[in-house]
Amino acid sequence: MANSSGKKKKGAVLVVGAGVAGMQASLDLASSGYLVHLVDKSPTIGGIMSQLDKTFPTNDCAMCIISPKLVEVGRHLNINILPNTEVEGLEGEAGNFQVALKSHPRYIDLKACTACGQCRQVCPVTAVNEFNQALDLREATYMRYPQAIPRGFTIDRNVCIGCGLCEKVCLAEAVHYDDTAKEFSLDVGAVILAPGNEIFDPSKFDTYNYLNLPNVVTSLEFERILSASGPYRGHLMRPYDREEPAKIAWLQCVGSRNINACDNSYCSAVCCMYAIKEAVIAKEHAHGNLDTAIFYMDMRTYGKEFEQYYNRAKEHGVRFIRSRIHSIEPEGECDLRLTYADEQGQQKSEVFDMVVLSVGFEVGKETVELGKRLNIDLNRHKFAVTDGFKPVETSRPGVYVCGTLQGPKDIPQSVMEASGAAAGTSALLSESRWTETRSLQLPPQRDVSKEPPRIGVFVCNCGINIGGIVDVPAVREYARTLPYVVHVEDNLFTCSQDTQVRMGQVIKEKGINRMVVAACTPLTHEPLFRETLLDIGLNKYLFEMANIRNQDSWVHMKDRQKATDKAKDLVRMSVARAALLQQLEEQKIQIQQSGLVIGGGIAGMNAALNLAQQGFSAILVEKGTELGGLARCVTHTIDGMEVQPYVDSLIAEVKAHPGIKVLTESEVTSFKGYKGNFTTKVRVGSSLEEETFEHGVVIVATGAKEYRPKEFLYGEHDGVMTQMDLDEVLRQRGAGNGNDPAKWNRAIMIQCVGSRNEENPNCSRICCQSAVKHALELKKLNPAMDIVILYRDMRMYGLLEDYYTEARRQGIIFSRFDLDDLPKVESNGAGLKVTFHDHVLQRHIQMPADAVVLSAATLAANTDQLATQLKVPRNAYGFFIEAHAKLRPVDFSSEGIYLCGTAHSPKLISESITQSLAAASRAGSFLAGKTLSVGGAVAHVDKSHCAACLVCVMSCPYGVPKINDENVSEINPALCQGCGVCVSECPAKAIQLSHFEDDQITVEVHALLEGAV
Amino acid sequence: MIIAEPKPIDEIIDSLKDFNRILVAGCDGCVTVCEAGGMKEVEVVASALRIYFKQAGRAVTVDEISLTRQCDRPYTAQLADKIDQYDAVLSLACGVGVQFLAEDYKNKPIFPGVNTCFMGGTEEKGLWTERCQGCGKCILANTGGICPIARCSKRMLNGPCGGSSDGRCEVNKDIACGWHLIYERLKELGQLDRFETPTDPKDWNTSRDGGPRKVIKEVSRL
Repeated sequence: MANSSGKKKKGAVLVVGAGVAGMQASLDLASSGYLVHLVDKSPTIGGIMSQLDKTFPTNDCAMCIISPKLVEVGRHLNINILPNTEVEGLEGEAGNFQVALKSHPRYIDLKACTACGQCRQVCPVTAVNEFNQALDLREATYMRYPQAIPRGFTIDRNVCIGCGLCEKVCLAEAVHYDDTAKEFSLDVGAVILAPGNEIFDPSKFDTYNYLNLPNVVTSLEFERILSASGPYRGHLMRPYDREEPAKIAWLQCVGSRNINACDNSYCSAVCCMYAIKEAVIAKEHAHGNLDTAIFYMDMRTYGKEFEQYYNRAKEHGVRFIRSRIHSIEPEGECDLRLTYADEQGQQKSEVFDMVVLSVGFEVGKETVELGKRLNIDLNRHKFAVTDGFKPVETSRPGVYVCGTLQGPKDIPQSVMEASGAAAGTSALLSESRWTETRSLQLPPQRDVSKEPPRIGVFVCNCGINIGGIVDVPAVREYARTLPYVVHVEDNLFTCSQDTQVRMGQVIKEKGINRMVVAACTPLTHEPLFRETLLDIGLNKYLFEMANIRNQDSWVHMKDRQKATDKAKDLVRMSVARAALLQQLEEQKIQIQQSGLVIGGGIAGMNAALNLAQQGFSAILVEKGTELGGLARCVTHTIDGMEVQPYVDSLIAEVKAHPGIKVLTESEVTSFKGYKGNFTTKVRVGSSLEEETFEHGVVIVATGAKEYRPKEFLYGEHDGVMTQMDLDEVLRQRGAGNGNDPAKWNRAIMIQCVGSRNEENPNCSRICCQSAVKHALELKKLNPAMDIVILYRDMRMYGLLEDYYTEARRQGIIFSRFDLDDLPKVESNGAGLKVTFHDHVLQRHIQMPADAVVLSAATLAANTDQLATQLKVPRNAYGFFIEAHAKLRPVDFSSEGIYLCGTAHSPKLISESITQSLAAASRAGSFLAGKTLSVGGAVAHVDKSHCAACLVCVMSCPYGVPKINDENVSEINPALCQGCGVCVSECPAKAIQLSHFEDDQITVEVHALLEGAV
Repeated sequence: MIIAEPKPIDEIIDSLKDFNRILVAGCDGCVTVCEAGGMKEVEVVASALRIYFKQAGRAVTVDEISLTRQCDRPYTAQLADKIDQYDAVLSLACGVGVQFLAEDYKNKPIFPGVNTCFMGGTEEKGLWTERCQGCGKCILANTGGICPIARCSKRMLNGPCGGSSDGRCEVNKDIACGWHLIYERLKELGQLDRFETPTDPKDWNTSRDGGPRKVIKEVSRL
């Protein structure tokens, strides 16, 4: 397939913005066989997430979970990171774009810089540290944060005085004051926009006095305050006097849901959750009993298991006060007074030590300009315009969007969208897969298993990072005395490119078969040195590293002698272990180039279709007689998109695609195998015949169902219906049938029926917008109709807020109720009578109504059997559990199995489509590899000692060990993650982990303790 | 299987502190499965002993081995050629294994390293519960497959007693009332009429009351 100009499509992609969304899109595409140019205007990748302290709802440290991604992006052969770079223009069309780019000077050559940090240490200039939100200072020569990728420094020439000190001390000769901007162009097949948002600047709100009151901080500043790597090293302090606050308030919706003081009418979608998280974490940091109060309008904890997080925060004593604060007044020297009206309308006043402004998202001016340059449409809020059924496509074909430029959203939603955008791109460019990618050409490996160990020890000075403290020549000479050591040397920078080449020559010349590098940490450098071994034909497992920097020179810089002694100890340990290292073989196995998609709703169909468009075959298994799923019960979306024509065309497209096999009235009856090679039996049609399929991946898209209420006279009175029933009534009306809602005088809707209660603590996410959608529709049908929505919090997140505003403008009445005072619905002859407590009037109100519409919960479909067959986990409410709530939202922890749609949690159609594309992208990037390396550092069982006790089976976090037909434990090397849990648990000591064998570990311990005990 | 638990290390040290050459012998059978006396526990105990002797300034040899089963003579015999190197053996097998070793190596002191507890099963990882007391005359057929001897605190044959409350035993609220379980199970099976006929007193001769027991299976004898 070629495009209109007849040219073959390019197999390269431009990703603009290297935050968490841009990184995910790049990783998916680069693994799928496309060359990715990842552009960011910042000197480093990582975006806003790198500045966060902990992340909701798991309370994982943001840096801890993002830094492996940073490393992965930084090391990926097919991701070309272009930092300090901006997109100037885009010509051409989908498949063949020409991008004009401009790189700003960095003044430090990344190829030469080893990130040793000498330049920073000598820099005499101080500048505001924007990474820590200006709460502290940095040098002019700086790295944004220690884990930054690319690993290299930058000179901020806006503040640099040009003293030349850094240039003098840089032994790598990486400093170039004469660096200039460079303009260049690239040819790509598609563009993914992930430039992110800026946070709202609250200084324009006079009444919050943000600029004049030091103890008023933004939420991002507070993230840095809480962070262990932040300006206060994780100690909870307020900026004015560095005292620990005893009382902190959060003000929600600063720069969001506001058409009075700013133009941001939308909800920023993340602030409620991060405020709760910050309050909970601040309490953990506090030494005393920290008082935390969150002032809010609606608590929007609509995401998966967010409601439980909210409930736990209440248990932890976080106070939630429903009130929007007008102003912050100074009190005393630096305290802050908030005056507010509580829900009963009483004026209250409280003094806080610190106030956090929960600032929202905003599309930055530069991003708006970028949008214009790229000729994509932005909506009135400046977010990229997308079609609800094509949620990752911009108005310009071939240009995709993900993350907060598409609309305000949290990290998992951004990650899903990023994978979704990658899926769209991969489908567009599949003909050019692997055409522009780079690959490693390695020589055959030399078998050293019969040779006695010949160890080479390379000691690194790391500039003066190590050499300035540790007596490196003494360590080098000490290494010479150790057993099996045949070569020693020290290097200025062992990691530099020229050193790698020289090390390779030395290893060959001297017949070295085990390499020990005494330098920094294997976390950042092991892959590099392993590559050096591979380049000269040695097995990568014949390498061992001694960390004499992070664990020695950096922590013992005041005692050079002891630091040198410790370096010798560490080298002795590494040499001892190196002598016992074994070369390990990794085998390549073929990956079946097909996917099984379970569930034929919108999510399953989109996933199958995208897989097929990517060039893989798909088997779509649907339980029902027809494809379509729950979407068949939805007439249109809140933004007016007609659902049924879309579902019809999607079904037609799926059925017509030669790469998709559709099986209706079908169910999975058995499932076995492992990633890349699954075998599934499916009972097809009404017959009892089974078909067997071999496939490489599985996508679970089993959907959800609407709760059938037991409360509020549902099923007892014709006037009581669910939102889905109302949809049907409205559709039948269109067909001229039944109860005509246009004749209703009053309709009352009740929210959270079957949600957010003891039985089901989850928020069902979509019912608030269902209610507003139908209320607006009823209003259109009969403008005189009274519509009352009884709610607990209106969770009209993101851009949905506009519809909530519109509903209020049209006179729809919203009245809030509490869980302990539920509305009462009674029969009133043919009509109904609803009694509820009105929070403004502070009394019970009784209203007759023609219809009562229940916003019933979205519940998980029954997947007991499937979950058991696939051995994938579900939560207590039957929704499948993803591998990681934040960064792996569509993967299961068992590799090769993915999930999407409402099987994951309740969501809108557009969100389901995004997630299904994401699942297809993750699946596609795995399938595209064609082969799988298995083995290496994985566990192996000594059959003769296995007691078949099941301890490994019970303790493996990935469910890998099985007791086989020989009645002993078997660990599939293709599935084993090498974590070692089974090894430590095995009561018979029958399991060992390759590369971490007991003898390899104990020899290190003995070497350490040599002479000491 | 036989469920055991490791003895406190202080008790083990107390029994071995005066010896100079010690063999720690595990068993690959039941005690491996219940994580009390397999090769891993052997290494753990042996390491603890070495640390103790090192700190005490004594040069004591502590070696490690695990036998396929210590309740079968061909396996205990595997120690024959090395037993003379030691002046004491710590057996991490159940009480059966300790006694077999003691019978086979009459001149060696054999010490128990575990407390042998009961016959039971694995409830979940790290949790084992009792199911059988080896009374020698199984009555599970009449009690819905739930044993009143092992599961009722009083070993009652006609329960429950007045101490049963909300399905829990008066001895401890953490113990399910065995007879409550039997009732629920028989109800499930539609056999509640079994409660209409009292069970006769049990012949305890087959249990410990008849002295140490033996089982002979004539057809199996050589």
